[in-house]
Amino acid sequence: MAKRDIKFLVNDIKQATVQAAQEAAVDIMNSLAEAGPVWTGRFSSAWYAVPEGGSPGGARAEGKVYKYDRRNVPATRFKTGTLYRIVNGMDYAAQAQDLDPFDPRKELTTGTIRPDKLRRGQRPTNGLRGELLDGVDSNRATAPLDWYMTYINGGALNRDLGRGAKRGFGTFKPRGFG
Amino acid sequence: MNYQAIRAAVENPLLSAFSGLSPAVPVYFDNITAAPPNTTTEYVRVNVTFGITNEPTLTSSVDNARGAIVIRIFTEKGRGPARNQTLLTTAVNVLETLNDTAKTTSGVFFRVGEINGPTFSSTEAAPHFVGRIDTSYVATVLS
Repeated sequence: MAKRDIKFLVNDIKQATVQAAQEAAVDIMNSLAEAGPVWTGRFSSAWYAVPEGGSPGGARAEGKVYKYDRRNVPATRFKTGTLYRIVNGMDYAAQAQDLDPFDPRKELTTGTIRPDKLRRGQRPTNGLRGELLDGVDSNRATAPLDWYMTYINGGALNRDLGRGAKRGFGTFKPRGFG
Repeated sequence: MNYQAIRAAVENPLLSAFSGLSPAVPVYFDNITAAPPNTTTEYVRVNVTFGITNEPTLTSSVDNARGAIVIRIFTEKGRGPARNQTLLTTAVNVLETLNDTAKTTSGVFFRVGEINGPTFSSTEAAPHFVGRIDTSYVATVLS
């Protein structure tokens, strides 16, 4: 009969929990990058999982929708506390997330998308906040109004959390029991 | 899936509530001209968005949708929060009434989640004081 001190099993469970948090964070950050505005790609690359009281970094890249993997969420991030937040580090994040106040009558600047930058759709000429045109290959330079709250409240956050955690806990292997 | 019925389930009572005030407060929904032309006129913007439709684990019914409701109240800047809070109360009362509505055999069964806010803000550029609440919803089309 295999015998092992329970403290080792607890450690195995802790390790699986960290992996579940990592996987969930990656899924959530990828969904946020995909759902949000992508004008230069910098905002999409600035999502961070930080422990309570921690600060996010800045943009990691530009030119495309950033693709996150577990290297962006080091396991050490989850060892300093039981709570962590997924936040965007750009200084205009609250505006991009439609959390800052805005004047609905103010026309958006259309700007010129540099050819070497991501062509993710268009803002209409004289367009207002929340108005966007379909761009080439369904790209867009902005995002639908309240895209962030839709992600949080519309079920997608729960879905990503569940899928990621399930994948992380799937790695759970109790060692030393036979 | 009847998205229009879901949208109407929340938009109609909000429109009725604000239209019934004296004076009536204009409400602007999605795809409607953003705001009144007078820069100091108070008004309400309601954004109803759809998240996941027919989430299989949500209920035994497959005809359901989840989403977000974001309500922004614009009142005159520099005159304190009282008027804004009065209008926010009207919006919250409508959401609470939705949760008190009994389930029937047809139509839309609508439930909102916890209400976040209100948060208040204003910017130098904007001529309004803005109060904002948001919540999640789950709606099931019964017919």
